[in-house]
Amino acid sequence: MSYAIQINRLKKNYGDHTVLKELNFDVKKGEIFALLGVNGAGKTTALECIESLRKYDSGSIVVNGRMGIQLQSASLPDHIKPMEAVRLFAKWNKTNIDYSMLEALGINELKKKMYTDMSTGQKRRLHLALALISNPDIVFLDEPTAGLDVEGRISLHDQIRKLKERGKTIILASHDMAEVESLCDRIAILNDGNIVFMGTVAELTSKIRKRYTLHIKTEQGDKSFESDNIGNTMLTLLEDFKQRGINVLDIKIDKGTLEQHFIDIARGNSK
Amino acid sequence: MSAFMYGVVLQWKLDIRSKSLLVTCYVVPLLFFAVMGGIFTSINPGAKYTLIQSMTVLGVSTGALVGLPPSLVEIYGSDIKKVYKANGVPLYLGMVSMFLSAFIHILIMCTIIYIVAPIAFDAALPASLPLYFVSLAAFIAVSLSIGCVLGLSVKNQAKLTMISQVIFLPSIMLSGIMLPVDLLPVFFKIAGKIFPATWGYKMMTDDTFYFGSLWPLAAILFGSIIVCIFLLKRLQKT
Repeated sequence: MSYAIQINRLKKNYGDHTVLKELNFDVKKGEIFALLGVNGAGKTTALECIESLRKYDSGSIVVNGRMGIQLQSASLPDHIKPMEAVRLFAKWNKTNIDYSMLEALGINELKKKMYTDMSTGQKRRLHLALALISNPDIVFLDEPTAGLDVEGRISLHDQIRKLKERGKTIILASHDMAEVESLCDRIAILNDGNIVFMGTVAELTSKIRKRYTLHIKTEQGDKSFESDNIGNTMLTLLEDFKQRGINVLDIKIDKGTLEQHFIDIARGNSK
Repeated sequence: MSAFMYGVVLQWKLDIRSKSLLVTCYVVPLLFFAVMGGIFTSINPGAKYTLIQSMTVLGVSTGALVGLPPSLVEIYGSDIKKVYKANGVPLYLGMVSMFLSAFIHILIMCTIIYIVAPIAFDAALPASLPLYFVSLAAFIAVSLSIGCVLGLSVKNQAKLTMISQVIFLPSIMLSGIMLPVDLLPVFFKIAGKIFPATWGYKMMTDDTFYFGSLWPLAAILFGSIIVCIFLLKRLQKT
């Protein structure tokens, strides 16, 4: 198995606060890998350590390939035009400009706009273009669709899929489950500096499908029950209600969503 | 064109578009020159012999100490720094390109004063043109280096404005361009020697070259470069 990134016992402290507690994970070449977590879980710190933008306290990071980085909070001088930024970054990276990539990202149509006049989506696309300037093997995307409208998200998702088709490895930090579900091959969920789930989206989804919430409305009030085996639980509960002489008025079954399950795992409430 | 040269030319264009540096490099100094040039020469006809130098010192100090630092904070106090660092653009580029761009803008402003002052206010030209412009170039470089130190060390714009004024105002008041240095109390006369404006003004008004006026500027420039290197390395680490 060839890996694009190997992380071994990565630890990072900010003063007394430990942000990353000995993280271990690998990213395979050519896959889209997501780091998920609620705000403050350590996603950006982990990414910035891998990107060499932040020092870490212990552990090791092996990166096999050239990196292109789109930061979560990125900016450029207010009065720079997109193509000027592209040329500046291309010259410093000693690389030729890939005009087809710029075309695909719609940078050409922004030619005359200054950075300060661009929308959030246009800025995101420009920063993605700058991250791809050096034709990297591994692309880091930190909250790439934050602040984008639906159209912008769909467009950016298409670009990310095309990058994967071109053989790029993509590391994505996000807290948007829908985005992760539609894009990623594998995910790691971070909570309080630890990885609390690691696997494919299918594995996470199958985990969710096993968990149900049963809402039962009776004459004595509403009750909710969580179960992995909905059939047995429902039979047992109905039998119990019958024996106690309680009339059941309504039953609702909630299968749960990927998002709910993510929140449970990310907050350490997973069963 | 090399990456470095492209960065400098791009910065020159950005400065023209942004207008903030233009205000401090052209509008304020030239407006002050237009108003005070008339007042100075009316109150004291002898002022015409040092009008070009005094207005130049004021213009250079305004551009370098008040104009340059906020532009540097826009890069080094923001996410632009991270984007540069993440995508292969060296951190020093912002400072060096701004330094060179501001140098050219300030030099143009000073040349305008040099050309217009004799026509508008009957100001006397400096005795030696080459010596004047060499002195001017040295003074601009030293003033900009202090501006770089300010822009790299203070991240908060409001605080930066205060600190810039703490250096700018005594530079102007104690350099001899507003009041003759000989009239100042001894303490202020000595304090004035800390600021490059005093030495720059002296060099530009001297008829011949004195090494004694150059070495304090060289020392300030050297010190500022060392501090800038240290501050850039610190920014690289954080």
